[in-house]
Amino acid sequence: MNASSDQILLALDDLRVDFHTPTGIVNAVRGLSFTLGRERLGIVGESGSGKSMTSRAILDLIPHPGVVTAKRMEFRGQDLTAMDKGSRRKLRGRHISMVMQDPKFSLNPVQTVGDQIAEAYRVHHKASAREAKERSLAMLEAVQIREPARVYGLYPHEVSGGMGQRVMIAMMLIAEPDILIADEPTSALDVTVQLQILKILDDLVTSRGMGLIFISHDLHLVKSFCDRVIVMYGGKAMETLPASELDRAQHPYTRGLLGCLPDLDHPRDKLATLTRDPAWLA
Amino acid sequence: MTTQPAITVEKLNVSFGDSHVVKDLSFAVSPGESYGIVGESGSGKSTVLRVLAGLNREWSGEVDILGKRQPKIRDKAFYRAVQMVFQDPYGSLHPKKTVDDTLAEPLAIHGLRDAEAKITRAMADVGLPASFRFRFPHQLSGGQRQRVAIARALVLEPTILLLDEPTSALDVSIQAEVLNLLQALRQERKLTYILVSHDLAVVGHMCERLLVMQFGRGVEEMSAETLAARTPRTDYARQLLIASEGFRRAG
Repeated sequence: MNASSDQILLALDDLRVDFHTPTGIVNAVRGLSFTLGRERLGIVGESGSGKSMTSRAILDLIPHPGVVTAKRMEFRGQDLTAMDKGSRRKLRGRHISMVMQDPKFSLNPVQTVGDQIAEAYRVHHKASAREAKERSLAMLEAVQIREPARVYGLYPHEVSGGMGQRVMIAMMLIAEPDILIADEPTSALDVTVQLQILKILDDLVTSRGMGLIFISHDLHLVKSFCDRVIVMYGGKAMETLPASELDRAQHPYTRGLLGCLPDLDHPRDKLATLTRDPAWLA
Repeated sequence: MTTQPAITVEKLNVSFGDSHVVKDLSFAVSPGESYGIVGESGSGKSTVLRVLAGLNREWSGEVDILGKRQPKIRDKAFYRAVQMVFQDPYGSLHPKKTVDDTLAEPLAIHGLRDAEAKITRAMADVGLPASFRFRFPHQLSGGQRQRVAIARALVLEPTILLLDEPTSALDVSIQAEVLNLLQALRQERKLTYILVSHDLAVVGHMCERLLVMQFGRGVEEMSAETLAARTPRTDYARQLLIASEGFRRAG
């Protein structure tokens, strides 16, 4: 299921993220390779599997003492590894942007949400304050906020979690990026709100032809939402498969993850637990 | 022929200032039963648990636990019989106390003897190696911390355990281990559980009956069989069930 070369937005080959700590080198990502087209790519894994570090490496947001290396890391044919910090920064937000897990911690608490969206637009586009405001209002409408004019003037503490996440999405999409990375965008939300947010993401990805990297620990959600899934463990991809075939996964880790979820349709007295095989990381 | 319920809640009301967060809630839990409370955030499910645990003193209504009408301020005997496990093992353990301190404190408060043996046993019961006894919380993983929290609750040998989202901060593989542990402990010791969760699959796995809450009211009480068959009576419960099945693309 490889996209043709002009369709490839992002190509990663042998991505590694190492943290050089006083007690030794911690390998957060160990040799990950994948390509992203105009599709919904899911990355699933447990905490510490390196899924968030992968997205941060793509955005050049790995903090010191982390070191990112890759044989190839290309965004639409441009070599990211050869780019300086300034050029990477120009890509960030404009062409590749990211929605974080919890709007409570990622919005500026002392600025109205509308002004934050407008600011995101003006950082990347030459526009008057008025034009930026108009665009922000249109964007708030696009993420299905009912009274955009009222919400524009609210502060983050005055909006609910679901609304905050819509604001985050509006802010990330206003620059019309080619790639959107969503790192657990709905795990802080209630299930019914979660579905509304996913619907918005889904519509926007389809209508704008973006590539979406959807990071999650929720296998059921990824199975129902994404086109393709990468299963990560210990910084490595255990397997990559079409989301619809997740139930038929071959790798023992994926099978183990699926097996330890309680399931209403298959009640068991005792849940299976996962035995990790050191050979998976060899 | 009915046995006396372990917990009876009758017309419970809780308000914080102007917001009325639990409204006329009534339910009963039999001894040895595992009872689930599900709902979205703000539905009042955790508040109910805090009232039962005696952590919230602003409420009206009637609460009977183990055959005794409960006052707002509980006595020591109550806490020996009823213990609570909290959601976040990163927040519920004292960062500067070792596992040993954490487990010894309830014993000291209740003036129980033989702390040494009781601590060793509680750690063994939850599957923690004895070598972890003098570790601090930051030296433990999330799953291990939650085991410490469960051991802390069990060390007083309570009969009722109140569980507030005990696995929602954990990875699924660790969740499976903790749920298995809770199931095994319940069988062994004939414990009564009230489990609050937003995860219907977890509640379906752990509980015989459950209550769906919305905006502070009990919307529907159903059996685990009804949940598994997905045949709730009310629209809201049905909606919640559908939402928890995952994303559905229209068309």
